[in-house]
Amino acid sequence: MIEYHAIIPLVLVALSGIAAMLAEAFRQPGERMPIAGLGLIGLVGAAIASVSLWDTDRVSFGVIRADNFALFINVILCLVGILTMLLSNEVVERDNLPAGEYYALTLFSITGMMMMASATDLLVIFIALEILSLSVYVLTGIRRRSVTGAEAAFKYFLLGAFSSAFFLYGIAFMFAVAGSTRLEQIGVALAGQATGPPQTLTIVAVGLLLVGFAFKVSAVPFHMWTPDAYQGAPTIVTAFMSTGVKAAAFGAFARVFLSALEPLQAQWIPVLAVIAAVTMIVGTVVGVAQTNIKRMLAYSSIAHAGYLLLGIIAANSAGRAAILFYLLAYAVTNLGALGIVALLGTPENEHDELRDFAGLYYVRPGLAALMAVFLLSLGGFPPLAGFFGKYYIFLAIIQEGHYWLAIIGVLTSVVSVFFYLRIVVMMYMTEGPEVYRPSVPATAVAALTLATVAVFYLGVLPARVLQLALDSISTIF
Amino acid sequence: MLLSLIVFLPLAGALLVLLAGGRGDRPDREGLVRNVALATSLATFAATLYLWWRFDPAVADFQFEERYAWIAEFGIQYYIGVDGISLLLLVLTGFLTPIALLSSWQSVHKGVKAFSFFILALETAMLGVFVSVDLFLFYVFWDAMLIPMYFLIGVWGYERRIYAAIKFILYTMAGSVLMLVAIIALAVAHSNATGAPSFNLLDLYGLSLGHGLQYWGFLAFALAFAIKVPLFPFHTWLPDAHVEAPTAGSIILAGVLLKMGTYGLLRFAFPLFPEAALYFAPYIAVLAVIGIVYGALVAMVQPDLKKLVAYSSVSHLGFVVLGICALNVQGVQGSVYQMLAHGVSTGGLFMIVGMLSDRRHTRLISEYGGLKAVTPHLVRAFLLITLASIALPLTNGFIGEFLILLGAFQWNPRLAAVATTGVILSAVYMLWMFQRVNYGPIRNEKNRHLPDLTPREWVMVVPIGAMAIFMGVLPNVFLRPMGPAVNLVIERVTGERPVGAQPTAAGRGGDLRPAGSAAAGVRADGQPRQAADEHTSND
Repeated sequence: MIEYHAIIPLVLVALSGIAAMLAEAFRQPGERMPIAGLGLIGLVGAAIASVSLWDTDRVSFGVIRADNFALFINVILCLVGILTMLLSNEVVERDNLPAGEYYALTLFSITGMMMMASATDLLVIFIALEILSLSVYVLTGIRRRSVTGAEAAFKYFLLGAFSSAFFLYGIAFMFAVAGSTRLEQIGVALAGQATGPPQTLTIVAVGLLLVGFAFKVSAVPFHMWTPDAYQGAPTIVTAFMSTGVKAAAFGAFARVFLSALEPLQAQWIPVLAVIAAVTMIVGTVVGVAQTNIKRMLAYSSIAHAGYLLLGIIAANSAGRAAILFYLLAYAVTNLGALGIVALLGTPENEHDELRDFAGLYYVRPGLAALMAVFLLSLGGFPPLAGFFGKYYIFLAIIQEGHYWLAIIGVLTSVVSVFFYLRIVVMMYMTEGPEVYRPSVPATAVAALTLATVAVFYLGVLPARVLQLALDSISTIF
Repeated sequence: MLLSLIVFLPLAGALLVLLAGGRGDRPDREGLVRNVALATSLATFAATLYLWWRFDPAVADFQFEERYAWIAEFGIQYYIGVDGISLLLLVLTGFLTPIALLSSWQSVHKGVKAFSFFILALETAMLGVFVSVDLFLFYVFWDAMLIPMYFLIGVWGYERRIYAAIKFILYTMAGSVLMLVAIIALAVAHSNATGAPSFNLLDLYGLSLGHGLQYWGFLAFALAFAIKVPLFPFHTWLPDAHVEAPTAGSIILAGVLLKMGTYGLLRFAFPLFPEAALYFAPYIAVLAVIGIVYGALVAMVQPDLKKLVAYSSVSHLGFVVLGICALNVQGVQGSVYQMLAHGVSTGGLFMIVGMLSDRRHTRLISEYGGLKAVTPHLVRAFLLITLASIALPLTNGFIGEFLILLGAFQWNPRLAAVATTGVILSAVYMLWMFQRVNYGPIRNEKNRHLPDLTPREWVMVVPIGAMAIFMGVLPNVFLRPMGPAVNLVIERVTGERPVGAQPTAAGRGGDLRPAGSAAAGVRADGQPRQAADEHTSND
């Protein structure tokens, strides 16, 4: 008998996506329909399913494994989805985006993300990657009349297709080396060959997989698409993909490299260390020069990818737990920040330039205060979520004695504070021209409140979530 | 509970301020907001005084300890306590915050709610820094403190406030993140040695560290604190921050924030890495002496009152660092004393400059002159605080500088001799400034009809002036509680019990006996830790 338990969360989200499509099909032109509500039902259901599957370690079809690691990421993804739905409700209508397609694609990409985090077979990871990528490519260009949107989507698609090819090629080589695409069996095969230097073929396979993942998590030098895609996409999509894709990709990245490819640590850790260092430096230093907030946050997300890579490099239990904690902290923080940017836009003008934020405090003190909280959390100030995220990462990396990576990490985070504070300077310390500020709907207030509470909760009382993260990693690695 | 109450009372008041202020900017609620904030800060001050009253001055270890697991997985605790050194700094913080709030009564009208919120939030962070016994907790407060200060400078400051605010936060962060790396490295070292990570300062004091961690760790800590002090050549953020900050910000910055650097050296950098501390102390002392002379010389040529006071801080804090580096009873006690004295007198100077600038909207010395005839009371207060800052005998500044020089002389006479020139120079620049502002004919017509002290300003001036004299006349009130703690710090660094208890300056002020003798009695039984534990278990 086939076990279905492990795929329940995925199925729930997929069903709500299908429901969103059907709703759109039956919608009269001009009729308002609470499609976001359908998505919310599916996502809350998936979150509940994930929580109730905790500690059961179910496997469906032998390739989807609902271990605690996957479930933790599932919950992050559900949270990302719920916040996105709440924030989108108004924005979709305001910007006249095609509602049915928007929600359906978002939900399908969440399905893909969950699948990616739970898959224990390289081919299934690839399929999941394609499900989420294709949805996100379309979402990036969903504003059909926007030139920048189309350009961003096309760029993202082309480069993404390249990286998928690399990834697939890597899978093929890995199959040649290990005789299987199952992670477990790859791990066994590689451990068997561990004596002596690894074959060239193995190195090539690992390298190609690394390129594929590095592209998805936007690590330097595979980050070129990120600023354009983030800037060109509708802001709410930027918020969604900067958090969701990152969580899913890092989940799979950690799973593949820290379980199946663990025997080859000595080979890939130095490479990844250089990539992480360059990613942190490029992300922050180039971020300083940006005047567009979405682009700035794109570079910031590159830098954060660098910090997350440190968790993989540490390759110890603290590092693995740190990745999970960091992904959660980053998800709520970045969604909050970009959500506010999305809410302040109008159909004609996204108001995403730095100067558009001038004097926001004097018009919307509440929004400005929340934005400041999110930005300070991204910058890693205590007692906010981002501080503990970074702290755990640095703890993990120092435990392994990689002091120089920790020092680059802390120094780049000081540089990043400079550009996060530029936004704060604009909001609080600069008199601005009169800019139209749309009102904030109740659903968005709920989303921002949720995100803020999470940022403070993770910052002040992180012990419980951290314990859960530590429990999550014990099952698979 | 008392200590937690003290630390978080201002934060509770800050949240109350937000409630009292209502939505948006409500000018009609301004008075209410100010009163809530002032009442909170006064209640906090009263609580710190009560703490002092309950404090047992004979005990060297931490008292009023509170300990809860915070993040048990990593050995992070909510562990707070006070000893003789931090006690007085808590009182100083409590003392200066109401004065800072009062000083902004006239000058701040934009966003009073947010302003009061940030001042009170800042107070919680400052108090938290002084009571943390867990290194991680300390770092949280240390970093959290930057945010309110950043807003205070950036929103309510003068023309170049944004530049100053960003410079302040980036400078301080650059130092402190490296300290974070060192803190984590210490916890990992503890974990390797004992199997469990710990950030508990008392655990870490006893840890034997490898050579690399000993020296690099010390440098990381010392850099963070040297920037905060600020020690020459890390001082360049200070004049900008001071000049651009609003009066309240300057009072707190000079009065309390700078002390965190010297407090950090004394509490963390030196005792945690004793071997490195002894190795680097002479070099740090040289920087301190350069700072003393350089700060004084630069202060002399400043046309701007605030900048002059800011550079005088560089000079005065150099004395504090010198005393710490001497690592003997006189030097360290003098340092702690000087921290308090400098907090009172420099806080007072910034307060006076703020009063002048409220009246004339300028801080340039050349704009003033002949104020003595116009505002006699203000000038008298100014004179008292100026003399205290110069360290005239019977004022607070004298005790600290005298003890520091005494300690430094025993340790390294040459450095002490150079440092002494700083005393002379401080008289030169302060008196010259005082003369240009207050004496002579009235050169500027705008100065002719300035109002004298208002009742509100009297309320600020009297406590500061009284404290300046009180600390100069009865130093033992302050020296006694800090004595045992100071001895313990010296013992931790040098490994031997200090030969304190010399009747160093018995002829002066009648009662100036270093409190080391009181400590010797407690420590004679050789089990001070146990005594402290018994004390705290009674709480």
